[in-house]
This record gives sequence, structure tokens and C-alpha cells, in this order.
Amino acid sequence: MHGVCALERTELLTGWGRTQPVVANLVELNGTPASPEIFVRPGTIARGLGRAYGDAAQIGGGRVVTQPDDVSSSTLQDGVLSAGGGVSLDSILSSYVPRGWFVPVTPGTRYVSVGGAIAADIHGKNHHLEGTFSNHVESFDLLTPVGEKRVSRDGDPDLFWATAGGMGLTGVITRASFKMIPVESAYMKVETRRLENLDELMATMVGSDHKFRYSVAWIDCLARGRSMGRSVLTRGDHARLADLGGAIAGDPLHYQARPVASAPPWLPGGLLNTASVRLFNEMWFRKAPRLREDEIQKIPTFFHPLDGVAGWNRIYGPRGFLQYQFVLPDGEEEALRRILEQIASAQVPSFLAVLKRFGAANPGLLSFPRPGWTLALDIPVGSPRLFGLLERLDRLVLEASGRLYLAKDSRAKAETIAAMYPRLGELAAIKAKVDPEGLIKSDLSRRLGIL
Amino acid sequence: MFDALHTPDNVLIVGGSSEIGLEIAKQLARRGSSKFLLAGRSLEEMQGAARQISQVSEQAAASVSVIHYDVLAEGATESLLAAAKAELETIDMAVIAVGALGNQATDEKDPGAAERIIEVNFSKLAPAVLAIANQMATQGFGHVVVLSSVAGVRVRRSNFIYGSAKAGMDGFATALADAMIPSGVKVTVVRPGFVATRMTAHLSPAPLSTTASRVAADTLRAADRGKVTVWVPPLMAVVATVYRHLPRAIARRIPF
Repeated sequence: MHGVCALERTELLTGWGRTQPVVANLVELNGTPASPEIFVRPGTIARGLGRAYGDAAQIGGGRVVTQPDDVSSSTLQDGVLSAGGGVSLDSILSSYVPRGWFVPVTPGTRYVSVGGAIAADIHGKNHHLEGTFSNHVESFDLLTPVGEKRVSRDGDPDLFWATAGGMGLTGVITRASFKMIPVESAYMKVETRRLENLDELMATMVGSDHKFRYSVAWIDCLARGRSMGRSVLTRGDHARLADLGGAIAGDPLHYQARPVASAPPWLPGGLLNTASVRLFNEMWFRKAPRLREDEIQKIPTFFHPLDGVAGWNRIYGPRGFLQYQFVLPDGEEEALRRILEQIASAQVPSFLAVLKRFGAANPGLLSFPRPGWTLALDIPVGSPRLFGLLERLDRLVLEASGRLYLAKDSRAKAETIAAMYPRLGELAAIKAKVDPEGLIKSDLSRRLGIL
Repeated sequence: MFDALHTPDNVLIVGGSSEIGLEIAKQLARRGSSKFLLAGRSLEEMQGAARQISQVSEQAAASVSVIHYDVLAEGATESLLAAAKAELETIDMAVIAVGALGNQATDEKDPGAAERIIEVNFSKLAPAVLAIANQMATQGFGHVVVLSSVAGVRVRRSNFIYGSAKAGMDGFATALADAMIPSGVKVTVVRPGFVATRMTAHLSPAPLSTTASRVAADTLRAADRGKVTVWVPPLMAVVATVYRHLPRAIARRIPF
């Protein structure tokens, strides 16, 4: 087939949470102009690096389209990078940080593709000031069942904002152009603060997050009572040349990022239980300084600590895990407190739960962030209490006009998502124009009855 | 589709008036499964079951449809699969709760009756299960839950017609689980001991007897974990293993 590599194979796929395995037919685009014929029944969906936690980038019995992580075909002009849809932020950082450029937005992992970054409209620690990845995108090439076309933010805003955050349901993003940010060094200047409870944390974030380009808090979700919400807040910005001293000042743009360890594939379930996570959380909290300023950290330490362990998702064992991430608008702090109480009293063993403030929303029809608070927590699958707990949390989120993040979701009900994303109908209308036969589908879209 | 907690959206219950099948369906409806198709011989009983399933959840009533299905009828499984595709789109989970105990004493003297018991429990049922599993393989996922029986672990004098058919089905289904691994389809084989249901109402309970709701709960817990076999109650695994290795002269003298 034109534009499709001979590489076509059947594979068992899951999301990052390893919870819903399905067999699908994997096809890799080889970079030459791709053909709309790649879209077939019962459904076709693009897949980047498989970091969506649930079933967003798979379709059982259907076709899953991947693209090579080929950063050599990228070009940087006037601070705008043009890169293929399959190119990872990892490759981009390795190539461009040494030249003094950083990606506009990075999530907690650098192993996401450009296409996935747009489709999930990813956010990072700078959302409160700089918005999502798509906010920095000027245009992308979208392969759809009616052909491939360049979609620019100004030229075709409808399709642009249906695709940004659209979970791949409008087509395959084969190339994108987005603004990079100039940096003087490959280091971060970081402030770390330990906060004793939720009130202290929220007051600090509301009061001074605007002074920091990047900000995120880790919360101990097992702490209850007066120490509920005890946390470690890290904030910072790219270090300037003047901030560096010693040996690193001689080679300020030296950047090296690779996993230092690998989780073996045979790990059993149950390693992360309430006792082990309580111990970890206690240590993490205690080792954090009450306040440390002007610490110089490497980029991977600050942004991508978990990427240091390859395949860290395997530590959850064969049954996998899920991530629960929601956003609540400003003014719903009481709801956030009630949700944290529920999580703490259920003693869900979640380590590295993170809280962050979001800034302004963008026009993306399914884009997740909106101004307020977002909490993300990993939860191992296993406890039978999970069903009830997560349903209760869904209701609290919905009642507080909040919503769940589709890139993380692996279990919400169709009605819940429909209530949280009232513009699904607009997406369907725009999608129908580029996919009149309804060939673009994912397990997520089928599970949630989207389109 | 399944969610991360292995709750299926769309469920097919074959043997739609089976009490264990109904219990499994009710527990799934409580967890949020939204569509059920009951396939069995008695439309009346299935309609009763359908009402119970749809009333389980107050927030979101499951939609339940019923279809006549007789595993012994020519072409029955083809029509069932067509109906399942139309009603459910994907068969996420299929519970195979077809079975007939027969009457050992009279069936022994009537090879025709013995044949029907073997057909219902194994020789006609196994190809139906295979067809369902193959349809799931085209979806790239699915979970077949087959209700087996301790009776099939060691075939006993007192019910060797039913027992041998169950033994065949158990072997078929457990090996099918291995065969299906590359296709993304899972198979779980449930081996309950004596279950107090209509089918066994005329018999006096054997030791370690259990209930349909207990079987359903244990079955779903095992399915969630992707286990291939599950004994209900769990102690039955030990008892059955001992029993299987008893010398024949002793085993023959055990009354059940």
C-alpha cells in the first residue's frame, strides 16, 4: 500500500496502565506521503509512545497506526520546530537542548510523541502561565479518510481545536510546527518547599505560583486529619548562565537523559500496597527540606524523574494500575478537600500524587485543562473497594463542575464523560466532515460512546 | 469494551435461565455492565431474569434482551452470534452456563438419553464455545467464562454420563485458554462443587456445597485476575486433588 511500510504485524497492546490488553493490527507509516486508505474497518487510530494510561491509543481487532521517532527530519527555523508526528520529546530534547532550545511544554515523561502531545493536548508544570502544548502549535498535517491536509490555527480553527485534545479521533497527525523556547542552559533553578497540610499548600500556590514558570506539588494521599494534604512543592525556571557555577558553567548546555535502571518484566503484583507506599511517602516527605532555594537541578531530575526507571509501570504487577486525574475550577477548594478525604480514608496506596494549578483554558473541544486545581494519582488495580470509591469521586468531580482527563481515563462511564465534556456534539460534527464513514475509532471512543 | 477494572460493557449469557448465570449478570450489572443478551431455551424464565438484571442498578438500568437458543438445534450458534453482533456490537464477556444433569439411573439404560446429556454438556457445547471464542478473536479481546464442575475432575460411578461430559468440556476449555492467548481472548473455567440451585434441588447437598451468588462472586474475582481455573469454594481444589488420586477401590465406595 502506498505510504505504508511493509511492517504490518499483529500485536497485543495496552495503555501505560497495562489494564485492557487487546490484539490489533499495527501499521507503521514510513514517512512518504501517506494514503487515506490506511483507514479501515472496524476502526483505525493513531498511537504514539503508548503513554496514555487507558485505551486511547488502541482498538481491538482494528488498525493502529504508528510513526517513526525520526528527529533527523525535523527543522528549526525562527524558533519554530517542524517535526514528524512520531518524533518523541525525548529525541527533540536530546537534539535541541544542546543548541539552546527547549520544548514549550513537557509532561512528567519525555516519552511522548508530538502527535500524542497534540491529541492529548498535554500540559506541564508551566500550564498556569503558558497553557498546553497545543497553545504553542502553529499548524499540523492531518491525515484523514478524505485526504491529508495542513491545518493551521488561524486557517482552519474548527479542525485545529477539534484535533487539539481530540484523542486522535479526527485523524493521524503526521507533522507539526510549534514554537520552541530558548534556554541558556540545560539546568533548572529550583525552589523546594515542604508544606504541612492542604491549606498551607493551596495558600502558597495561589500566593506565589505566578512568580515561577514551573510549579508542581507532590501530595501524600495517605496522610489524614491535620496533616491531610502534606506535600512537597517544587517550583523553578530554566537556569541562566549567571546562575551556574563550577564545572557545569563551562558546558552549560550539556544534556544527557537516559534511564539509569529498568523494572524487570516479572515483578509480581502487590508490591505497592498501603504499607510500602506509606513508608515511601513518609521518607519522601521527611527528606524534603522545609525550604531550599536556588538549587541547580538537571532537566531530567526536575521534569522527568520517573523516566529514570525504564518500564516503571511494571512495578504495579500484572494487573496494572490506573491514573485518576481531574480538574476542579477555582472556588471548589472544598470539593478538593472532600475528595482528598475520601482518598485518604479509603487508604488508596497512591505514591506520587500530584497537585497543580491550571491557568486559562484553550478553545480545544476536548482539551482537559481549565483554570483551577488538578490532582493526579496512580492507583493499583486490585482492591475491590475501587469500584465504589472511583464512582463516588466521579460524582464529586461532576458536582463541582470538574472533569476527568481522557488521556488518563480507563474506566469512566459514558454518561459521566458526556456530562463533563458538553461539546462532544461539536466534535462529532467536525469529525463527520473528515471521516464521513466513521473509520476513526479507538477503544476509548467505543467505551465512552464518543462519536 | 472492558474498563481498567475488567468490568465488561456487553455480556452474553448462554444458558440464560441458569441461576449461576443470572447471579453473574446481576453482579456485573451492579459493577456497571450496561448491555446483556440472555440466550436460552425458556423465554419466560429469561424474561424474569432480565427484569431482575435491569433492576439491579438504580442510577443506570442495564438493557437486557433475550433470545431463544438451544445448543442442540442445527445452526443455533450461528444465529446466536449474529444476534450478539447486532445487540451487543462486541461480545466482551460470554458466560457459558449451559448444562443438564440428567438422571444417571435411567440414562444408563437409555443410550439416546445419555447421548443428549453428553451433547448438551460437551459435544455440541464445545463447538459453540469455540465459535464464540473465535468471534472474540476477531475483536482482539474478550473473556469466555465456562462453568465446569468438580464432577468432571474425577468421573464417578454415581454420575459418569454427566461427569464424563463435564470432564471433556473442562479439558477443552482449559486448553482453549492456552490456545487463545495470542488472540487477546481470555478463558476462565469455573469448577464449583455442589451448588444449591434448581438443577440440584432434588439432590441432598454434598459436603462443601455452595451457592450461586458465591460462585458468581468467586468467578468474577478470578476473571478480574485473568485466572484460567477457579474452584468454588477454594478448598474444593484440595479435596478434588486428593479425590482424583484415591485408589479406585476406595473411590468407588465413596457415596457421592
